[in-house]
Amino acid sequence: MSVKKKILKAALRKEAKRIKKAARRRHCGIGCRVLRLFGKLIALLATVYAALFAVFFFDLDGKLLYYVVEPLLVRHYDRMERKNPLEMPYEMKSE
Amino acid sequence: MGFSIEASVKNVKTGVKKVREIHLSGLGEKLKAAAALFPDPRDVKLPKNKEEAKKFAHDFWCGKPHGERRLGELYCDKTGLYKHREWRGVKDTFYYFHMIWLYNYANMVMDIVKFGSPVTFVKGLWRYRWMGQTYLPVLHWFDRGLEGLRGEALRASAWHYRAMTCVTINQFMNMFEADGKLRNGAHNDAWHHAMAHKETVWGGIFYPWMDRFKHIPLEMVPYFVTCHVNNHTVLNYIDAVQSIGLPGDPCPMCQAEAGLFVLDDVPDYAPFLITSNEACDGSVASTAIQDWFWDRPLFAMPQPMQFDDPLVQEHCANEIRDCWKFIEEQTGVPFNWELLKENLEKQNELMRFEWEKWDVAAKTANYPINGVAQALYRIYQSQYGEHFIWHEVDKKVSKIMTKCVEKKIDTFPKTRHRVIAWSCSPLYYSNWCTWAYNCWGLNTVINMDSLMFDMEVRTDTLDNCVMDMARYHEWAPMRRMAVGGMHHIFELWDYMERFHCDMVMMYDQLQCKGMQGVVGLFEDEFRKRNIHAIWMPHALPDKRTVSRAEIRRIINDYMTTVMKEEPLDPSLLEFDDDMSW
Amino acid sequence: MRDLKHLIFFEKLLQEANNDLVKQAREEGRKALGYTCYFMPEVLLDIPGCFGVRLRAPRSGSPDMATYYMSNRTCHYGRALFERALEGGFNFLDANLATETCTVTCRFQEHLKQMDVIKNPDFFVEFTDVPFKKNENSMVHFRKQLQAHVLDPLKERFGVDTSDAALIAAIEEHNEVCRLISEIGAYRKLDNPPITGFEFHIIQLVTLTCPKYLILPYLRETAEELKTREPEPKSPYRCRVVLSGAENDDPDFTGLIESCGALVVADRYCYGSLPGREEIVVAEGQSPLDAIARHYLNTSYCPRFMPQQDMRSRKKYLADLVREYRADGLIVVSNKFCEYWSYERTMDALILPRDYNIPTCSIEKEYVNASTGQLRTRFQAFVESVEIKKLQEAK
Repeated sequence: MSVKKKILKAALRKEAKRIKKAARRRHCGIGCRVLRLFGKLIALLATVYAALFAVFFFDLDGKLLYYVVEPLLVRHYDRMERKNPLEMPYEMKSE
Repeated sequence: MGFSIEASVKNVKTGVKKVREIHLSGLGEKLKAAAALFPDPRDVKLPKNKEEAKKFAHDFWCGKPHGERRLGELYCDKTGLYKHREWRGVKDTFYYFHMIWLYNYANMVMDIVKFGSPVTFVKGLWRYRWMGQTYLPVLHWFDRGLEGLRGEALRASAWHYRAMTCVTINQFMNMFEADGKLRNGAHNDAWHHAMAHKETVWGGIFYPWMDRFKHIPLEMVPYFVTCHVNNHTVLNYIDAVQSIGLPGDPCPMCQAEAGLFVLDDVPDYAPFLITSNEACDGSVASTAIQDWFWDRPLFAMPQPMQFDDPLVQEHCANEIRDCWKFIEEQTGVPFNWELLKENLEKQNELMRFEWEKWDVAAKTANYPINGVAQALYRIYQSQYGEHFIWHEVDKKVSKIMTKCVEKKIDTFPKTRHRVIAWSCSPLYYSNWCTWAYNCWGLNTVINMDSLMFDMEVRTDTLDNCVMDMARYHEWAPMRRMAVGGMHHIFELWDYMERFHCDMVMMYDQLQCKGMQGVVGLFEDEFRKRNIHAIWMPHALPDKRTVSRAEIRRIINDYMTTVMKEEPLDPSLLEFDDDMSW
Repeated sequence: MRDLKHLIFFEKLLQEANNDLVKQAREEGRKALGYTCYFMPEVLLDIPGCFGVRLRAPRSGSPDMATYYMSNRTCHYGRALFERALEGGFNFLDANLATETCTVTCRFQEHLKQMDVIKNPDFFVEFTDVPFKKNENSMVHFRKQLQAHVLDPLKERFGVDTSDAALIAAIEEHNEVCRLISEIGAYRKLDNPPITGFEFHIIQLVTLTCPKYLILPYLRETAEELKTREPEPKSPYRCRVVLSGAENDDPDFTGLIESCGALVVADRYCYGSLPGREEIVVAEGQSPLDAIARHYLNTSYCPRFMPQQDMRSRKKYLADLVREYRADGLIVVSNKFCEYWSYERTMDALILPRDYNIPTCSIEKEYVNASTGQLRTRFQAFVESVEIKKLQEAK
């Protein structure tokens, strides 16, 4: 099939989905919508949970800190201008 | 003729190929290195028969038994990062995920908000090396200390870490909220209501002002805690103070404390400073440099060295009274006896629970705190003083401990030897005892620093209170055993008996003149009493003198050649964590 | 210069802790009381019936036995003392009056207490707690400590008279030593002194290591001799220095500095006279023990003192000494592994040049000076730098 035909087919499929979705929405009641929203929320939370677990299990937080964050910060600290404490006066103090 | 289109195109194609090869070969190396940070899927052994399937399911559900865990294979080479965090069975892994990892990350954010403002936190992080380089990877500190733990031991030990994290956040947020350096030199109300003191001054001195003032140790968060969480940070401070001419042999703790000032890495958070001679000559000497670089009113509150002598107590008590007078003069706020009493009584509660813990640790196999959590929590809590989090955590730990005792839960079932750790521990490898238990079954039941401050303070009358506070100061970490006569340091034998220990981990701080001065007598006594003692050389916070790997090698050598034992987990015998936090 | 009549005798006395005068005093029935620190008031140890011996370990080699007990990461001075004790060099002692003032010498003295090292059945070690401040609380505390841990044990164990009269007698004898040493030391302020730092070091040391009542006649003669001693027509030294620092009981070290062209004009170190040879004044109505306690706290510039003004005044004291003795520079020396002086020396080397324009040479050495070549190079370079500075200032 030529490229043009493939693109056209994909666009038609997308349009058909959109029409079906719109039709479903028209026929769906409030309860149904709430359920659908809830479902999406669960899906989102599940995704976040799975992502967090992946970060935890594969120590991605440690790897990010070790290879990215710490080197950046250390470079910043190494380049920081600092006051020279040897210039501090050393005056006598009274009791 | 020189030029030809075909030749040019061929050259371009060859050039592109070469560039691609270079990038790909570099990319290949990078991909290989990245892949080494993660578990190799080929290492996962799927079950081939019913038996193996049963075992696989059991190990998945309950976690592998101790001898099969091969914890050493989880480490990424050199960095100490994990290819993947330990699978401890479904229950414990998800407990770790929810109640340690997620819980602590969430609470760290909440603590920052509770104790100050996120903006101030970011400013402080951007300004101070010890903040940014150390405290972000704090969960990895949890990981290192809690490796291999299961069940109640995991839960109880982790609560201790939670408390230390909370107090640390409280301290640095207090510092940042008051810090003139984050406000172009301006001193705000928080600055005027902060009291700075050397980390070895017990926080109890400031109880009478705790309703309106915050006492913040000078070096506890910038130095002491950093050594445990990221052992690289402190090296900058040690090198800095040596760069101005200090020799390399004084105690590196005091060197680092002075080095913080040399690198201008101390917040300007309080109008005056209280110092102490605790624990040693180095502490006294380094104060001179700190005084120079911080240059503000200073009160020295030393404790007597010969603290068994009844004649010294009044002198010590008078120093405390004078310190209070100084604080009154500096703050304009009078001493509040009721507040002192109230906080001391709360502290006494903490001490009583600590005694309960020691009882369980000494007499049973049901003590749910591992060696590193016991040591760090105790020294932090007792040195810093009263804080709400200690009580919260103690309540949780008490519940867990009661459960362990009632149900006779063997919290460290692979214990082969009950170890008492004596003298000052290596701060850069405080979790050596976690490794030692996992690898060799060495259960560090108690350590010397835990046994300091071993008393309640009377609150019936002010005079009795002050006398007890004087005694409390004299019994501070390190000095309680290391000064005032050799009979103190040799209390080891009594504690070995009390805690039913059959082995000693003799910390050998190479730059501690006090402890170096008694090595021979200890050798003689170990031989005479036929005690298994492993000398662990170290340089307190400086990992360069004796590396973690060297410490492990020493223990490995002793366990194989003298004790003639096989490791519980051979994968932990040798690994490279030279660049790890 | 003509040799001082008793100098060789003094040098001989310094070759052994149990020297001829110590032996003589013991034969006369006096108790030999060892100590290591300025905070153990030597005047108390010189009460009638006793004499103080500030411990040294001359001609020390490698302290192998002591190193077993105290590792090779502690101050060589403390280990050398312990080695000498293990060798039997301190068996003449009847007691050691100890202080926990610096960790390593404290450990040495604790070993004496713990182990059966001194072969004398009557030998005992008694520790005195020394405060870290000079306030009234500390003065009272120190006085009580000296009573309880110096005078009372001497009385109980040896039947020594520790009455006020005995203390007054000891103070008078002590003050005479101080006057003589101060008189001798004052010559060093002259442009061309009739005494070298090396000679002075020896004289000061014998007053610490020999019974006062036996060394006094020699000291009086030496002081008399110096009144007429002619210095070299032209001073052979290229500059004048104050020698400051930690424990320093080796006159050869002073000799080494002077062989490089720097005359040591003031001795501000442990075992030195500045401070150390100020007369004790007993005020009207004051108990002698109280006067002694206050004197030893007030006169000391030990880095052990913690209050802010005490810490800061140490630099001014050094600068004042440099001015008073018309020195061109300062040499600060500490033993390796000395915690207090590591920090003090670091600060001296930074603050004195910066704030007082005093050239300062900072040296770390061992108790036994094996690396004289390296030290010589350092001192020679320092002398040259001081000379250059003087020339530049003259221009």
